Amino acid sequence: MRIFQNTNFDFLGKRKIAYIFSGLFLSIGLLSLLFRGIEFGIDFKGGSEIALEFEKPIQISEIRDYLSDLGLGNVEVKTFGGETGILVRSELQEIPAELFPKVIETLEQIINKNYPDASFNLVDSTKASVTYQVSEKEKLESIIRTLFQNGFQATKFSQEEDNDKFIVRVGISDWIQENLLANMPDNKFQVLKEDNVGPKIGKELKRDAVVAVLLALVVILVYLGFRFKFVFALGAVAALFHDVLITLGVFSILYNVIPGLNLEISISVVAAFLTLVGYSINDTVIVFDRIRENIKIHKTAPLEDNINKAINKTIPRTIITSLTTLVVVTVLLFFGGEVLRAFAFTLFFGILIGTYSSMFVASPFVLEYAKRIKKGIQF
Amino acid sequence: MKEFRFRIILILGAVALSLYLLYPTYADSQNTKLINSKLEQFRDSLRTTNPELSEDRFERLVSMREDEIYASNPDFRDAREKRIKLGLDLQGGMYLVMEVNTAKLLEKLAKDPDQKFLEILNEAEQQAKIEEVNVVSILAQKLQQNNIRLSRYFGSIRQDDSEIISSLEDQESDAVTRAIEIIRNRVDQYGVSEPSIQRQGARRIIVELPGISKEEDAKRLLQGSALLEFKIVREADFTIQVMNAVDNKLAELLKSPSDTVNVGDTTAVEDMTEEQFAREHPFFSIAMINPQSPFADAFVRQSDRPKLEAYFARPEIQNVIPDNVLFAFWAKPEATQDGEEIYRMILVNKKAELTGGVIVDAQSNIDPQTSAPIVNMQMNSEGAREWARITGANIDKRCAIILDGVVYSAPTIRNKIPSGNSVIEGIGDLTEAKLLEIVLKAGALPAPVDIIEERTVGPSLGQDSINQGFNSTLIGLFLVAIFMIFYYSKTGVIADIALFFTVLFIMGILAGFSATLTLPGIAGIILTIGMAVDANVIIYERIREELSTGKTIRAAIQSGYSNSYSAIFDSNITTFFTGVILYQFGSGPVQGFALTLMIGIACSLFAALVVTRVVLDMMAAKGMKVNIG
Repeated sequence: MRIFQNTNFDFLGKRKIAYIFSGLFLSIGLLSLLFRGIEFGIDFKGGSEIALEFEKPIQISEIRDYLSDLGLGNVEVKTFGGETGILVRSELQEIPAELFPKVIETLEQIINKNYPDASFNLVDSTKASVTYQVSEKEKLESIIRTLFQNGFQATKFSQEEDNDKFIVRVGISDWIQENLLANMPDNKFQVLKEDNVGPKIGKELKRDAVVAVLLALVVILVYLGFRFKFVFALGAVAALFHDVLITLGVFSILYNVIPGLNLEISISVVAAFLTLVGYSINDTVIVFDRIRENIKIHKTAPLEDNINKAINKTIPRTIITSLTTLVVVTVLLFFGGEVLRAFAFTLFFGILIGTYSSMFVASPFVLEYAKRIKKGIQF
Repeated sequence: MKEFRFRIILILGAVALSLYLLYPTYADSQNTKLINSKLEQFRDSLRTTNPELSEDRFERLVSMREDEIYASNPDFRDAREKRIKLGLDLQGGMYLVMEVNTAKLLEKLAKDPDQKFLEILNEAEQQAKIEEVNVVSILAQKLQQNNIRLSRYFGSIRQDDSEIISSLEDQESDAVTRAIEIIRNRVDQYGVSEPSIQRQGARRIIVELPGISKEEDAKRLLQGSALLEFKIVREADFTIQVMNAVDNKLAELLKSPSDTVNVGDTTAVEDMTEEQFAREHPFFSIAMINPQSPFADAFVRQSDRPKLEAYFARPEIQNVIPDNVLFAFWAKPEATQDGEEIYRMILVNKKAELTGGVIVDAQSNIDPQTSAPIVNMQMNSEGAREWARITGANIDKRCAIILDGVVYSAPTIRNKIPSGNSVIEGIGDLTEAKLLEIVLKAGALPAPVDIIEERTVGPSLGQDSINQGFNSTLIGLFLVAIFMIFYYSKTGVIADIALFFTVLFIMGILAGFSATLTLPGIAGIILTIGMAVDANVIIYERIREELSTGKTIRAAIQSGYSNSYSAIFDSNITTFFTGVILYQFGSGPVQGFALTLMIGIACSLFAALVVTRVVLDMMAAKGMKVNIG
């Protein structure tokens, strides 16, 4: 079976249309980035995130109400994998000082309700936990279990025989869990995953991501400049910027538009972008390799012809590889689960745009550059 | 055919190697099923024999039994070690990054900190958060600005600022070491499987705890400060008495009403004696005493520890052990026998003579006279007084140094120590001495750590991810394979074979290098499936072109391949580079992705350039019709 064999499409002749097309998408993307911005996940912003799976379907709006006046500031609630899962996110990493007393009060109320004659007192407290001493050691394990059932992480202070203290974790996720349990006692949930990222780590990850992307661009520039002429390297990198910016634009435009598609920049999304960079270069190099070959063989032919022929000859391969990769990424998008969704989406769009840019951005760039410097390109 | 022999052998060798490397993963999954059913049986039996056990204890005993099963069968251990490791996002578990809270450490180390100091310290702490500079240097700066000498709060008046700064930085680094040992101790005790505790940089610790099913377990690690205790070890006579009592009671309890001695073959006498011994002396058969030694220390195999713990948990046994003593295990194993570790167990007083708060400092050294490793220990005045009394009253007895319930050393008290400065001898090597130094300091000095990053994946999400990843891989593989046959007919099948080999080789390499498979890693494999066909497509399209210029099939294959090399090479190298960069800058899951991407590129290149080539060449040589669609 064949498709697109022996085509003779004048790609470069039509490049002005491509410019308009690209220009349009880039502008829309940039406008959206400026005004709507993009959303960073807690990997970069820091904060707490907890994914819960309920036994029965839930209403997001209901949960938002319960969690909105918890004193945790801005709390986001999104769906997570179906009608029974939610993702709760807070910008804070630990319980704020003003809220602390209320949490302690709730904790003590729980103990008092279930063990009215137990006497206990606070012996230590840190930002993230409180330690109590009970007078009746035998009640220790059941108190711990009760707290656990009410959403608080509690455990024995030490494994000593005569230990009479217990320590309770007082964290964002505990407070959220306690409140949800109190408000929806007949819809039990389990914790699917939980993330807590401090601001320092968030900053470091941001820095690392930027360095990684810049390094990738430099490496590619150098390698391509070495294997091809410098102008080709520039063309490839130009196509890359084009791809990354438009994909970022799509992120910005579609953020929160499609339910179930959580488009925020997390570490795996950055990984997807880097992969996209690698893949797009892949594509572009195939075309450039053909151009290089054509120039070597047809030394006297005009550059435009050589490039056009090269693109035409490589179309079958470009289409097929893009197709197979796209099929695979689509499978990931639909069957790969919630965790990988944004990752798969990035690749999906990126591959589409990357294929387009190999044919309509990278090569025209080379041509325009050659025309400006009024010199031909020889290998 | 001769010309192909080398390549065919190479390919078959690679396939065989991959299958061999992957076998443990398969074996382990089968073993796990078997073990889980055994554990179910154990659970039921435990419920009947020990119905009063708390949930905590119960789960702990079950997990110890699991360890026992693994320890007893070397094949199980082998398969477990060699299988493909699953990342935390696939098997569930906790990932923690902890950092020493330098400000708090400085606060605790400072002598007579006043309000001014605390204010300046607070400022320094805030500043350190914004800039990325060390709290110690900022504090030193600020104190200088306020015309206060560092020696007012730290070190001695004779030291100048730079000396004190560097000693404080050492303290910081020390604190991390202490924290790591404390955490490791607790993790070992609570039986987390394949935990990982790594130091990162000067101030951080990375802890990975796979398979934590209840978060509660993990939190134990981070709570409370370490408890260092000095407890007197009971004399041999008394210890043997207690052990005998336990042994007799145990034999009584375990005797079943229908206990008869099998008068069978005389050839099985040796086995019967061992069995009989185990029946008559259940305690001593697993807690072995060395008759030559003046001490009544018992040695227990790792796999027997759960059994022993279960025995100790029984109220009848607890009644037989006097209220003021308990059995304690050594932290590190004594020796290894038949691939199993042996732990020493001693009987100590329940009440501690002293706790770690009295220790001021400890150093590991080499004794200049004997060249043996020793540890020097200094106590404060209150501790020194007590210590003088304790050592005076217990000469020739041993004193166990216990951290969080586990024994690290039990040196003999030779004479009364009036000054609070003790020398601990009889240490095996310098490593042991250094460990003891850390332990002594751990009980005395603070090691405040903050959790700055924490990620937990529950087991159900982990299992879901595995399923989704697995399904996606199969579907992706299937669709791409179908397409290749559709577009390239017979040679498409060849490309598909190369594709399957690619996936096989990737998995084999992951297993061979004990690499970790994460969810993004699976995504990397799926992506590789999509991209792996690329090389084949380039080659096939080129061959089609060459054929259309009229070349023979053999010549077309030849030139098709040679003309494609440059394109394939250049394009894949750049993707490989991005993989390398991702590996460097990523962590955990992202690294898993970069890894499978890089391995995938290498394998797909091998498959396309060697496997497909060989098959095509063979077909052409045999004169078969090579139909490239």
